[in-house]
Amino acid sequence: MVDKVKSVSEVVRTIPSGSHIALGGFAIARNLIAVVHELIRQQKRDLTVSQGVVGLETDLLVGAGLVGRLIMGGGSLDRFGPAHCVNRARETKSLQCEDYTSLSVCFRYLAGALGLSFIPIKSLFASEILERLEAGPGASDVKRSRCPFTGEEYVLLRALTPDVSFVHVQIADRDGNCQINGPRWGNEEQAKAGRRLVVVAEEIVPTEFIQRSPERTIIPGHRVEAVIHQPFGALPTTVFGCYDYDADHLRLYVKHAEEPERFKEYLNAFVFGCRDHWEYLEKLGGLRRLEKLRAEPISGY
Amino acid sequence: MPVTEGTKGRNAQSDIRASEIMAAAGARELHDGEVVVVGLGLPEVASVLAKRTHAPRLATLLEVGVMNPRPKDTPVGLPDSRSFYRATCWSGFLDVMGMNLHRGVVDVGFLGALEVDQYGNINTTLVKDESGKIRYVNGSAGGNDVASLAKRVIVIMRHEKRKLPLAVAHLTSPGFVGGRSRQELNLRGGGPSRVITDMAVLGFDANTHVMSVLSLHPGVRVEELVENTGFPLLIPNDIPTTPLPSTEELRLLREEIDPKGAHLK
Repeated sequence: MVDKVKSVSEVVRTIPSGSHIALGGFAIARNLIAVVHELIRQQKRDLTVSQGVVGLETDLLVGAGLVGRLIMGGGSLDRFGPAHCVNRARETKSLQCEDYTSLSVCFRYLAGALGLSFIPIKSLFASEILERLEAGPGASDVKRSRCPFTGEEYVLLRALTPDVSFVHVQIADRDGNCQINGPRWGNEEQAKAGRRLVVVAEEIVPTEFIQRSPERTIIPGHRVEAVIHQPFGALPTTVFGCYDYDADHLRLYVKHAEEPERFKEYLNAFVFGCRDHWEYLEKLGGLRRLEKLRAEPISGY
Repeated sequence: MPVTEGTKGRNAQSDIRASEIMAAAGARELHDGEVVVVGLGLPEVASVLAKRTHAPRLATLLEVGVMNPRPKDTPVGLPDSRSFYRATCWSGFLDVMGMNLHRGVVDVGFLGALEVDQYGNINTTLVKDESGKIRYVNGSAGGNDVASLAKRVIVIMRHEKRKLPLAVAHLTSPGFVGGRSRQELNLRGGGPSRVITDMAVLGFDANTHVMSVLSLHPGVRVEELVENTGFPLLIPNDIPTTPLPSTEELRLLREEIDPKGAHLK
C-alpha cells in the first residue's frame, strides 16, 4: 500500500499556483499554519481561498499577496483583533472578496460534498451581502428561485468543490482516518467537498486505536490523499485537547499585521526565516514554550 | 460623548454598572425551555445568567457546533476551548445553524452589533468615516443567518449616536428592511424584537416596525437618549424604568459568570 504520510513541503509542491484551496480553521482555532507557511515559502500564487470563518491562516496568505479571490463568511482573530491583512486588501481593492455567511459557505460545501450542483437557502434575503454578490463577480454563484413544489422563494447557491481541502485534526492513522475532538464547525462538509483532501494531524495513531471508537471518525481514510504529521502544526492557534493558543504570539502578529512593512518583517522572521515548521516552533520558544501551552487533560486547553 | 460618567459607566444611584443592567435585562428576555443561539460577550453572559436563575432549561447554542456549554476563564472567541467547556453536545455549523436554526426551532438569536438602524437592520461588515473612506471589519459569520432565521432577535450593544444611525452603512443582517414585514422580505424568522443598550431597552412598533423605547435605565433622561440616537425613536408618554439586577443576579454576574469583568466593564 502507498504510504499517505507525507511532508508538508512534498504536498505543497503538488499544488499548482491558481488552485482553489479550502482551509479548515476558524479564527484562532485549528488553523493550517504549517501548510500556509509552506505555501508562502513556495510562493504559490493567484490562489482562490474559501473558508467559513477566516482567521490567522487566511490573513497570512492574503498578507503574503498570494490570494486573488477569497470566498468567506467573515472572520477575525477574535479578541486579539481583526484580520488586518484581509481587511486592508479589501480596502485597497487588491483582493476580490466575496462575502457570504457561516451557513451559506457551509451549504455550498455541503452541496459539493453531496455531489449536488446547487443548494437552496433561506438566509441572505434582504441583505447587502446578497445584493453585492449579485452585482459582482460572485453573480454566477447565486440565483433567486422558487421551490417547484411549494412556490416558496429561495436563494440558490452554487456548490463549492475546492481543488484541495485542508483540515487540521487531532489524530489520524496512516491511512487518513481522522478524529476531530471538540466542535467541528464546517470541517466535515469542507473536507468532503474537496476534489483532493489533505489532513494535518497532531498525532498519528495505529488503526487499532481508531477501531476502538470508530463513531468518532469524521473523515474516512479512503477520502484522504495525504496525511501530514505535524505536532503543534496549528500554533499560535489552539487545538482542543492538545494545546492552548499562544496569546503573546497572536498579539505580536496583530501588531505586525497592522502595517504592511511590519508584516513583511513578520514573514521574514517567522516564515521565510524558518526552513520548516520545526524551526518555526524553535523560534516561538521551543520546548519550554510548547510545554507551557500544552493542554491539561480536564479542561482541554 | 455628551453623557455624564454617572449614567454611562456606573449607575448614579448605586454601584451597579450599566453592563450589569444590560446583562440582567437580556437574561429576562430569555424564557425557560427556549432555544437560543448566542454570540460571545454580553449575549453569552446574559444567557448564562438566565440559565442560572429563571430559565434552567434554556438551550444555549454556539454556531461553531456547541450546545449548553458552561464557559469558564473568559474565552476570547467562539472556538476557544474555554467557551465550550462542559457542553452537552459538540457538532458543527450544519447541526446548529442548519438543522436547528434553518430548520426553524431556534426561538432567539442573541447578537452584538457594530451598527443598528431604526428598522433593526444590523451592520457588522464595514464602517465609513466622514470622508466616505471604508474600513472593513469582521463581516457576518453567522450573524446574517441568525437574523434571517431565528423566531426573534435580541441585539445588545453600547448606545452611541454613530452606532444607531438612520440607516446602517452596510446591511449585513436584515431587520424590517424599509419598514417592510418579514414575509414581504422572504424571511422566515420573526425579526428584531429587542435592542438592549447601556441606556435603554428598545423594541419595535408592531405596525411601522420603527424602533421604540420600552424602558430607560435608572438615572437616564429621555433627552439624553434622544441626543445619543441617530434617528427618531417612538417615545411613549410614560416610560418605565428598567429594573435593576437583583442581589442574587449581581452576585452571580460578579462572582461566578464574569469574575474578571471582561464583559461587565
